Amino acid sequence: MTTLLETRKATMRFGGLVAVSDLGLEIFPSDLVGIIGPNGAGKTTVFNMITGHYRPSGGDILLEGRSIVKYRPAHITQKGIARTFQNIRLFKDLSVLDNIRLGAHHRTGYGLLSNILCNGKYRREEERIRKESLELLKIFGLHKKHDHLSKNLPYGEQRKLEIARALATDPKILLLDEPAAGMNPKETKDLTGLIRWVRDEFKVAVLLIEHDMRLVMEVCERIYVLDYGKMIAHGGPGDIQKDPKVIEAYLGVQDE
Amino acid sequence: MDYILHLILLCGIYMILAMSLNLINGKCGQFSLGHAGFWAVGAYTGASFTVFTGWPLPGFLMLFLSCIVSFLCAALAGVLIGVPCLRLRGDYLAIATLGFGEIIRIIIINMDVVGGPRGFTDIPKLSNLFWTYFWVGITILTFRNLMHGTHGRAIISIREDEIAAESMGIATFKYKTLAFVIGAGFAGIAGTLFAHAQQFISPQNFIFMWSAYILLMIILGGLGSFTGSIIGATLFLLLGEALRFFGETVAEYRMIIYALLLVLLMLLRPQGLFGKGELKFFWKGSKT
Repeated sequence: MTTLLETRKATMRFGGLVAVSDLGLEIFPSDLVGIIGPNGAGKTTVFNMITGHYRPSGGDILLEGRSIVKYRPAHITQKGIARTFQNIRLFKDLSVLDNIRLGAHHRTGYGLLSNILCNGKYRREEERIRKESLELLKIFGLHKKHDHLSKNLPYGEQRKLEIARALATDPKILLLDEPAAGMNPKETKDLTGLIRWVRDEFKVAVLLIEHDMRLVMEVCERIYVLDYGKMIAHGGPGDIQKDPKVIEAYLGVQDE
Repeated sequence: MDYILHLILLCGIYMILAMSLNLINGKCGQFSLGHAGFWAVGAYTGASFTVFTGWPLPGFLMLFLSCIVSFLCAALAGVLIGVPCLRLRGDYLAIATLGFGEIIRIIIINMDVVGGPRGFTDIPKLSNLFWTYFWVGITILTFRNLMHGTHGRAIISIREDEIAAESMGIATFKYKTLAFVIGAGFAGIAGTLFAHAQQFISPQNFIFMWSAYILLMIILGGLGSFTGSIIGATLFLLLGEALRFFGETVAEYRMIIYALLLVLLMLLRPQGLFGKGELKFFWKGSKT
């Protein structure tokens, strides 16, 4: 099977601090992969490197065999990597529908002049994007609220909307940064189902960072464990739970 | 009567200025303080065009052409200034644009071709109410249509959350520059109309204070609302004129009154009169 996303010895240094070192991830199409690790292990840094917010200090990141380290985040998203944020970053003062339509921005095929002249091409494309966006919202059960301002949605629905907005960019791989943060157990349970279902429905690979172990163990097929920027373990949920290095990283070792 | 007509004409020019700055400051969220500079570029290029070419065309056509020329020149100035400046954020951007606005004025002072510090004289009077409000209409239509499309939404998304916008595949730098350039271009048109209404322009017309006045108009009306900019520009003009009735002394203190007005506004309605909202006209045709 061909790899979709691969990091080769990806390293991120901030001055003297090595946030991530020699990381080698491999994501395959329709994969469901989790990254876990104690606080400050460098998980979000990995996301920021993949999405182009940080340029790796060393190593390479390949999307379908081509290096993407030199691209700007917008370009990387257009290439097929979409993400959500740890602290929700919706366009708060825009409607739910507009949030989705902005996700579809780079797939909206009319130029500036068509936009200003409001010509036929503009109308056709706007109609298409509007329809597609509403369908996407319907899948997430948000279509009845399409004209609400996104800041007025309840927290759980904001999380959902952010995932929907990322999907509107038509990604090949979806990066979720702590999707269950701040959710109650019931919402987390729903999210577990949602993530699986998104993967199957949209045929995307999902890479997620999460602290909620129950969610990670239940949903992920493979897990990478980071500690102090280094990968300390990799494998299925069952193996990870038994791995002595992981237990050490999370719980420490008993002094003899 | 002539005086009042002239005021109505000026009001139209202010509206274009306010709306064009609002595209940059209100919609795109890039705090620019150099708008008077683009206004100056437009005024001087437009006036130069009519005076130096001297084509024997009907007045309205000449005005139309010089509006186009000034739009292009001011937009070009917008590119030249926007590309380096828009890499900065917040206060730094404000200071850089302020600096460039002044640089434009200083360059004009040192250009003898256009009269230097003595000003540009003998500009034919081509602006009239009809053509001024024609351009106001064009500005409104352009901005309204722009905001209803994906390019306008991209501009707004930068104001809302630049990092998220970039992550959604929106080339934020491109759209910041776009908003800046379009805003500069329309300020250029306002400049041409101004030059052909006043028949005399000098670098003194385009001092930094004017950038602040335009900012005052859009903050008064509401950052992010074109309707607000129109109302704000009108109120600004009316207020300035109303103070004249109280004699010269009061008129001289108008700066203090503007400042007080701003303080009051910030206390009572910090989002401006219209906030980010628009009147129905701007929303017609848009299904949220």
